[in-house]
Amino acid sequence: MTSVAERVDRLERQWAERPGVLGWLTTTDHKRVGLLYFWTTLVFFGAGGVEALVMRSQLIQPNNHLVGPETFDQLFTVHGMTMIFWFIIPMTTGAFGNYLVPLMIGARDMAFPRMNALSFWIFLASGMFLYIGLFSGFGPDAGWFNYVPLADRLHDPSRNIEFYTLGLAFNSIASTLTAANLIVTILKLRAPGMSFNRMPLFCFAFLAASFGLIFALPSLSVDLIFLFLQRNLGFHFFDVAHGGSSFLWQHLFWFFGHPEVYILIVPAFGIATEIIPAFTRRKMIAFPLVAIAELLVVFIGFGVWAHHMFATGLPTTTLVFFAGATSMVVIPSTIQVFAWCMSIYAGRPKFKTPLLFIIGFIVMFVAGGLTGIMFLAIPFDQQTTDTYFVVAHFHYIIFGAAVFPIFGGMYYWFPKVTGKLYFERPGQISFWIIFAGTNLLFFPMHIVGLLGMPRRVYTYPGDMGWTSYNVIESIGGYITAVGILALFTNLVVSYFRGAPAGPDPWHGPTLEWSVPSPPPEYNFAVIPTVSSAYANWDADDRERDGHRLTAGVGTLERGHEQHVSSLIDGWTSEIVDMPHSSPWPIALALALSLLFAMLVITHYLFAAIFAVVIALTLLGWHGKEPQES
Amino acid sequence: MSDVVAVDTRARERFPLGVWGIAMLIATEAALFAMMVGSYFYLRFKNAQWPPAGTPEPKVVVPLVLLGVLMLTAFPMWKAASSATPRRWLLLALVVQSGYFAMEVSDFRDDLRHFTPQQHAYGSIYYTLLGADHGHVAVGLLLDAWLLWKLLFGMTEFRRKAVRAIALYWYAVIVLTIVVTLTVTSPAFAR
Amino acid sequence: MLAGSAAGLGVIVAILVGAWFKRGVDGADRPGTITVIALGIVTPILVLAALFAYSDIFLIRGTSPPVAAAATNDLSVRVIGHQFWWEIRYPGSGVVTANEIHIPVRTHVVVSVHSDDVIHSFWVPQLNRKIDVFPDQVNRVELYADKPGRYRGQCAEFCGLQHAHMGFYVFAQPRAAYDRWLRMQARPAKRFNALFDDKCSSCHAIQGTPAHAHVGPDLTHVGSRTSLAALTIPNTAAHMADWLRNTQQVKPGSQMPEVDLTNAQVRQLTRYLESLK
Repeated sequence: MTSVAERVDRLERQWAERPGVLGWLTTTDHKRVGLLYFWTTLVFFGAGGVEALVMRSQLIQPNNHLVGPETFDQLFTVHGMTMIFWFIIPMTTGAFGNYLVPLMIGARDMAFPRMNALSFWIFLASGMFLYIGLFSGFGPDAGWFNYVPLADRLHDPSRNIEFYTLGLAFNSIASTLTAANLIVTILKLRAPGMSFNRMPLFCFAFLAASFGLIFALPSLSVDLIFLFLQRNLGFHFFDVAHGGSSFLWQHLFWFFGHPEVYILIVPAFGIATEIIPAFTRRKMIAFPLVAIAELLVVFIGFGVWAHHMFATGLPTTTLVFFAGATSMVVIPSTIQVFAWCMSIYAGRPKFKTPLLFIIGFIVMFVAGGLTGIMFLAIPFDQQTTDTYFVVAHFHYIIFGAAVFPIFGGMYYWFPKVTGKLYFERPGQISFWIIFAGTNLLFFPMHIVGLLGMPRRVYTYPGDMGWTSYNVIESIGGYITAVGILALFTNLVVSYFRGAPAGPDPWHGPTLEWSVPSPPPEYNFAVIPTVSSAYANWDADDRERDGHRLTAGVGTLERGHEQHVSSLIDGWTSEIVDMPHSSPWPIALALALSLLFAMLVITHYLFAAIFAVVIALTLLGWHGKEPQES
Repeated sequence: MSDVVAVDTRARERFPLGVWGIAMLIATEAALFAMMVGSYFYLRFKNAQWPPAGTPEPKVVVPLVLLGVLMLTAFPMWKAASSATPRRWLLLALVVQSGYFAMEVSDFRDDLRHFTPQQHAYGSIYYTLLGADHGHVAVGLLLDAWLLWKLLFGMTEFRRKAVRAIALYWYAVIVLTIVVTLTVTSPAFAR
Repeated sequence: MLAGSAAGLGVIVAILVGAWFKRGVDGADRPGTITVIALGIVTPILVLAALFAYSDIFLIRGTSPPVAAAATNDLSVRVIGHQFWWEIRYPGSGVVTANEIHIPVRTHVVVSVHSDDVIHSFWVPQLNRKIDVFPDQVNRVELYADKPGRYRGQCAEFCGLQHAHMGFYVFAQPRAAYDRWLRMQARPAKRFNALFDDKCSSCHAIQGTPAHAHVGPDLTHVGSRTSLAALTIPNTAAHMADWLRNTQQVKPGSQMPEVDLTNAQVRQLTRYLESLK
């Protein structure tokens, strides 16, 4: 009779990665892919942060000459693109999603491990693509929403906008693949007994955001394709002289753009809804309401896009409809905010660093949400849109509602990923510095916007009364940077000097806390059975798992095996063989990069050749078939 | 030690993971085409004359007949997905689909002789929408060819699932082509 | 709205602060769920409905774009947005000027806006909402000044390199003063300058001379304007000379190229242009 030790040993041998760099280049392990995403997005976060600091340094004085308008226009454009597409989305879906979702649902990997690796390499290549454009002087410079006619060939003749259209199209392939992977994983790979209503709220959030990406990104892609064709092949979609419409760009853009902002914050809501139970030691209040709200906010968010166009001269009836729809999308958010707050109130909170970041998130999200509600008063919107008031609004939301939970999540899961505890005191200090800095940076923007300062200006006159606010904002920016540096210094030092964490330092509610820290390659030696959404708190179930491990039931150790379950009830439906370690993802990403490189220099013949190479790579990818069960 | 949890063996036969993957692809491509079709109608209602003066009205009979032919290939694809000997059905489907594709390419080039995408938004959206549709048909042909080549080496579980996945892809392409064909021929209907 | 928002934020902060004070005591589910429904669903529905009704049914009547100037409207002005200046036309009197709009006080003025190139946005914060300026269609906004004065406006939609320097003034004047201004603007220039005609007339017009191009601003009465280059610099002889000499340094990315002029030519043109009152 095989012992537990022998079973574990067999699993370790089967799931072991290739050693060294080659192992990282060919990895399909969701944890490694998650870590690759994590470090890469941090580099882009740094780039976006530097862009912001340069802008704040230019704006600290009126009529300043630190950078000229060409550079400034590229800075604010690339800052927006980087933070949204190369930081928040890949950090939440690519890093947190990839690493944690399989662990939380009791799976050994994502549904499509090679596609997961592919999405990372494409993401990395797309970022290099954009920044090669920026560093060679061809950075996109028409704003992150790139309105036409400003972005058409006549008004922006250089290659800058090709780096915009192709860079975003390239990046969106990665996000779409990640979203598809998360959806199928969450729907089909849950552990036995994890019916749909017993999923952690984190999974509901990531499911909602992924559906959002699947249905919203194509609208942006269509816009990008149309603009590329118009700029490079003489097509006409947006120019009124040939039957096109400038409004078409905006409609397609915002049909994507509004769901996008929910895609940015909903995964962060998911992080918050795991940290709160862990640090208040009770279950989330109104769990079903919160779960439905997470799905509903993305769904309703598809119906409100034209509230970004209230000043464009659309008919008043249209505007009123969209204001009405926008008021509906508020409700799922308010449900969640009060559920979080009441859970903290009703629990026994431990005010450690992760929870501090979540509380900071709630305060800033509510502040940003309140200014958002103000925008549904159309006349108010028509005064404040395109001013610093709206810059304040969306930064309170994005920094508050997306970045704060990301920071909190980094602290929360640090012990799981590294096996070490972080230093608590410096963690709390880093929180307070960042909280103070971001409020100093973004709050005065409300005021200066109400005083009439428009956005996207590289300088401003000294006699408008805007100067002192800009000074405070810039100082706030520097303080925020210091706080963020403190945060990462703490994490790095903790990595080398922290105390061992063990599997479950927080007595966390979800399954990732039931495995060692860091988790072994195969995640679970025995596939867990689940009877609630707080699986790690169900001591009976975890004890039964231990018995099953000894008996060899559900250990799935005959190959790279993964359990697949039914959609609603989580009943076992089959065992499948998973791919493990493959060179095809990075090869395909390389071929795709070359295709996009050819497109940006409009060498269509070579682009077609690389398309053929991609097809051949896909042939090789599907050459070896999985073992029969 | 019995597991607390039930087992659902029917689910295994219903939708393998590969089919789910194709379903995700279809969802995102459907959204893509929905936005393109939406753009067609948006541009149409922005223009008093559609097609613009000097551009011929779209043909109706030939596109609809060809559409019917493509729709019929759903049958051999379905038979391939549910049969133990899919090769003959796949071959039949591939032949008819290739014929359809060849006719469409010929029509496309004929259209280009009368008006181009560079002339007006009508041409731009017409050729982009049709071109995207034909592109998806072309990919389907390649997938059929790949399957036929794989099946030369015999049948396996993986190949059976692949046939089902690619059949699903074709059903989606057929629905897509219905929508696109009706869209680009619509000026001839609504007078 | 600000009071309501402060109250809303206050409730949240109160709950969180309360959590700090009562930490260590476990609470039941029920009161929490009821609070979530009461404060998270019912209250927002009521507040939003009230806000929506007030702003988007009642208040919006005052800010909706007016229809084309009818007999009831006293005045209509046409504005054409360019990169990076505003062309102002008064239909009827044929007056063409740039970057300055004069209107009579206590008069409903319908401003029709249209763009010659990219999307801009016409915004005079103290007088009304902003309205985007498209090449696709003519949009309209009403201006109504109940007090005389100088109101600053600016472009509010990113339109390229010098979006930051695309401002304009609206002067609201007593009716008599406005009529005088309009009559003065309608008069052609009295003097011709050969150097101007040679170097500048390919883009700029001066009524009463052969210069009729409208690529750049009409300069017939440029001497009477308060500022130059769309509020980038004040209108003084020194600034005018600087503008002529160092155009791309004063406003880098402006559509006006650097014109090759000697110092004597700059002085001559400055004197001429400043004389065009």
